[in-house]
Amino acid sequence: MGEYVLEVRNLEKYYGQNKVLDKVNLSIKKGQIYGLIGANGSGKSTLMNILFGNSVISGTGGYSGDVIFEGERTRFRSTTEAIGRGIGMIYQEFMLIPEMTVAENIKLTRENTKSIFGKASGSMLSFVDKRKDNEDAARVLEQLGFQIDNSYLVKNISVNAKQFVEIAREVNKEDLKLLLLDEPTAVLGDEDAGKLIKVLKELAKKGTSVLFCSHRLHEICQVCDHVTVLRDGQVISDYTKDELDMHTLARDMIGYDVAAVKKEHLNREKKEILKFQDFSVYMPGEYLDGLNLDVYQGEILGLTSLSGHGKLAVGYGVMGQFPVRGELLHGSAAMEVKNVRRTIEQGIFLLPDDRKNMGLLLEHSVRDNIIFSGFYGRNLFQKKMGGIFPVKDKKEIERYVEEQIEKLEIKCESADQKVKELSGGNQQKVCIARAVLVAPKVLFVMEPTRGVDIGAKEKILDMLVQINREQGTTIVVASSELEELKRISDRIAVFCEGKLSQILPPDASDEEFAFAFTGEEEEDGQ
Amino acid sequence: MMKKVRKDELIVPVTFIVFSILCFFLSGISFLFLAEQVALRFIRNIILVLALIFPIMAGMGLNFAVVIGTMITQACFIIVLNFNIMGGRGAALVLLISLAAAAGVGYVIGRLLNKVRGREMVTSIVVGFLANYIYQLIFVAGFGTVIHVFNKKLVLSTGIGVKNMVDLKTFKEVFDNLGVFRIGKAKISMLLLVMIIVCGFFVFYLMHTPLGQRIKAVGMSEEKAANIGIDTDRVRIIVIVLSTVFAALGQFVYLQNIGSLNVYTEHLDTEKFACAALLAGGASIRKAGVKNAFIGVVLLHTLFVLSPLAGRNAFANASLGEYFRSFVAYGIIAFALVVNLRLEQKGEK
Amino acid sequence: MDSRIKLPQIIITVFMAALFVLAGFLGMDIPELISGSFTKFVMNGVLVLAMIPMINAGVGMNFGLPVGIVAGLLGMCVAIQLRMTGIAGFLGAVALSVVPAVLLGLIYAKILNMVKGKEDIAAIFIGYSFIPIMNFVWTVIPFTNREMLYPVGAKGLRPKISLENYFGNVLNELMVLKLGKISVPLGLLITYAVMCLLVYGFFKTKGGSVMLAVGENEKFCQLSGIRIDRVRTMAIVLSTVIGAAGICVYAQTYGFVELYNAPLSHSFPAVSAILIGGCIGRQAKISHAVLGTYLYQTIYLLSAPIANAILIPQMSEIVRMIITNGIILYAFLKQERRRRQ
Repeated sequence: MGEYVLEVRNLEKYYGQNKVLDKVNLSIKKGQIYGLIGANGSGKSTLMNILFGNSVISGTGGYSGDVIFEGERTRFRSTTEAIGRGIGMIYQEFMLIPEMTVAENIKLTRENTKSIFGKASGSMLSFVDKRKDNEDAARVLEQLGFQIDNSYLVKNISVNAKQFVEIAREVNKEDLKLLLLDEPTAVLGDEDAGKLIKVLKELAKKGTSVLFCSHRLHEICQVCDHVTVLRDGQVISDYTKDELDMHTLARDMIGYDVAAVKKEHLNREKKEILKFQDFSVYMPGEYLDGLNLDVYQGEILGLTSLSGHGKLAVGYGVMGQFPVRGELLHGSAAMEVKNVRRTIEQGIFLLPDDRKNMGLLLEHSVRDNIIFSGFYGRNLFQKKMGGIFPVKDKKEIERYVEEQIEKLEIKCESADQKVKELSGGNQQKVCIARAVLVAPKVLFVMEPTRGVDIGAKEKILDMLVQINREQGTTIVVASSELEELKRISDRIAVFCEGKLSQILPPDASDEEFAFAFTGEEEEDGQ
Repeated sequence: MMKKVRKDELIVPVTFIVFSILCFFLSGISFLFLAEQVALRFIRNIILVLALIFPIMAGMGLNFAVVIGTMITQACFIIVLNFNIMGGRGAALVLLISLAAAAGVGYVIGRLLNKVRGREMVTSIVVGFLANYIYQLIFVAGFGTVIHVFNKKLVLSTGIGVKNMVDLKTFKEVFDNLGVFRIGKAKISMLLLVMIIVCGFFVFYLMHTPLGQRIKAVGMSEEKAANIGIDTDRVRIIVIVLSTVFAALGQFVYLQNIGSLNVYTEHLDTEKFACAALLAGGASIRKAGVKNAFIGVVLLHTLFVLSPLAGRNAFANASLGEYFRSFVAYGIIAFALVVNLRLEQKGEK
Repeated sequence: MDSRIKLPQIIITVFMAALFVLAGFLGMDIPELISGSFTKFVMNGVLVLAMIPMINAGVGMNFGLPVGIVAGLLGMCVAIQLRMTGIAGFLGAVALSVVPAVLLGLIYAKILNMVKGKEDIAAIFIGYSFIPIMNFVWTVIPFTNREMLYPVGAKGLRPKISLENYFGNVLNELMVLKLGKISVPLGLLITYAVMCLLVYGFFKTKGGSVMLAVGENEKFCQLSGIRIDRVRTMAIVLSTVIGAAGICVYAQTYGFVELYNAPLSHSFPAVSAILIGGCIGRQAKISHAVLGTYLYQTIYLLSAPIANAILIPQMSEIVRMIITNGIILYAFLKQERRRRQ
């Protein structure tokens, strides 16, 4: 089967206990543009990382299955090795050195040199021929149809210019056999995306194969000769160019499983409790751009998007974890998000998605975790010893903790057990118990069911609804599990590329959601 | 290509110049004497300062472990003397084995620093201290016990341990005979001068080679450099090897010029003063060039020569000037650390 | 999880035992060495306690110990100037050093909060650059007690001020218990025990336990509405105050107040002592400090006469510093391995 540049056979990869790739097979022909689509966590990036020999893979226990490159079984140990074999990669977050010029970036690791000391001096130690580098770079950029001054520092050029510089670097490699692209058009306008696609087609004509990851379905349909859809680490479907259809792709990507139970939604008067006005959050990898959104008192608002498209940035922005711009009104008063303590005092609280690093004190007991925010943040359970020293009111604490353990069915040996010994689901319950104690008016919950077993999932979702119904807490849930959001939310806001794409009712069709996720608009533009 | 000089790069050098001028008038010495003193110290110090540039470019910060390079040269001098190899042959041998040993030790330090990413600076300090005491152990206790003494002049009367002061005249003469360059009363061997110029040029040249480009790329973003296909571990090791070798060479020039060796104290604090000099020249812990090294050494040593004299004249107390001097040396490092790390923190947010 | 005794502790303990045996062979006075080990232990013990608050708040190891020490020196100098003597003099010196310790601690904290994540390297150089400033101060400070000043010629305070006429050895001579040939300085040990209890007790209070939480997970605490910088400042000030008290204890045992560059020599040994006790830099317990100080100081105490006996007197100091720096380096490597897991 010499015609294939790359074959992937039965690829499996675990991150700890999580299976992120499950028996993935694909084969890319010489000169083929191969599309790969999938939602967040579908395993796209992991696959790319394996193919490119990224050290993340070997650092987390490697993988099983075969990667066959040019008919030869290979296992890249480093990106250097993969590059040496003629593989290139264009990253979503640019791998450009900001303090170097455009030309230097394009020619980095492949500099032209002039030898002062004759041929003898090794290439690493010969003098860089800047003029020739500049000429080379200019020529490549011209090929791409993109005009920019070679001598600009990369940090000073626009985002789409960066994208082109990165592409130029890869295209300039003479022996490029396979080019991997991770969401390359995400930051480009339509015109520039068109240019890129033209370049890819030309590359393919010259015999370079391309593996193209994107969530922009229409582009995929436009350029790809073959498309594979990944979901939850599995290959869901495979299409050739003739079979491509955006609707099918969208459905395959998001998945069909519609939840059986839908909750009756209460009609309440719409009173805004939080008002986002042109609210931007500079969170690395989750940029949120100019959000305008009202959160109504007493509702459960779902936030969803593909990963990296901004759903998490909303909550973290409110809690002052990243720089923000724009206004956030609480009631009618503007909030100062940097002052986290004040925010919490105003009744806004957040449970983070990264439980291990942000949501729990792993070395502390279940009890300490449950009472932490209430005790230290809001001075609950305090009594004065000798009238001066504040100490814990142990009896009260004991009563409350026992009650919560029972109510939330937290499976632990005792309240003294260290949280790190609990399962993911029970850890999340501990987090919820912690939030309940603070009795917030608005509770942001990030990915509440990630890494949680099925049984606990139900309990956690139930609890969120219960807190909402019984205490009247407004809950904003950011989750990538659309089905769960549909079950508990009153409204679901869908983000795409950092912008609010649509606010949909939970009973909107999967198709509507699919288009909202990918930011495709032709369907609802009528 | 003309580059604009940024304001914050100028603050430190300008402050140094202002203080130096002030001290110059307070000290009341002749300009010629000052020039002679500074030139002498410049020659002795510059290569060690150049040694610091590579690690900064590779994003590893101030490499306080350069002190190990200086110790290696000192050790080589003693060992060669112990075998009674004198004169030109001895000097050449010292140079050869000290550079080779520095490369080997540099490799080990590089490996070590790769294991403590993000904390290279503090680790390099501790490694330097550790090496200092191992060095002392060898020459205090090793000589005459484990190591056989061939040259009785080296050791103390008890037969164990090297003397505090070792004479290196036999090597100095070789260099001085090959032509000297005079500034006032100070004599500087032409050969040493050539070595310095070659070193300065080498650093400049290296930055314009593919290796230099890789070093810069690693320094600006290690993650990105790795993803472009640069073996960052290797680049970082090369950088530390170069740095250690330069330090060894620097100490060779220094001792050659002085003509004697304080076995246990000559190397102490040299690494910190070298760092201070580089920073005085307008470098930061993220960015440094040959220019910073040359300017910085002149500025720092001008102030170092003047401040004790100024202290004696103005306050009738030379020690005040010395305190001021050490405050300047350490303070500038502390200042650079705080300013740079704070900027980095802001950049992350 | 840190309670398990690990390899470094075993090696150090075995090494110490070997030294005792060797000392016995060389015919040294073992009971006297044991008595000496108690004094040495407490003498340095309080300085090691000064590591605990900063480590526990996640600020890192207190390489800036000289800041606290200088505060203590100031307190003692004022006490000598006022000619305070005996136990009261000692307590007075400690009390007098609290004010400068708090002030200096606040400045120290302000700087360290600017360099989060790289506190250790910054702290080292804060210490280094602070000492020359203080040298300046020691030279010009207008104290008038003749016993503090240079006897002739030079200006300023003398580098080593004797405490003989003030509060030298007051704790050492308090309630000495004779057990056969071994004398146990109960007063000194009790003072140390009280200090330990105070620190232990502090970490049971609200302020102390929030410090532990900040050290464990800063982000978590921030999301619970805790003002991180304030907690860190508190920890740094506390470490500085303990450091000040620590040098007072040290000086009264030693019999001299050492000024000028002397404070610099205490930070690395103190850091290394707590590491030897089994702390790897995340959470420091009192037991780490106590065990570490005893092992570290006793090795030093034993090695000195042994080095003299084999005619290389500098050996003990050199070996001690190799151990000191070796342990710190080991801890850095170990922390890095932990972080990667």
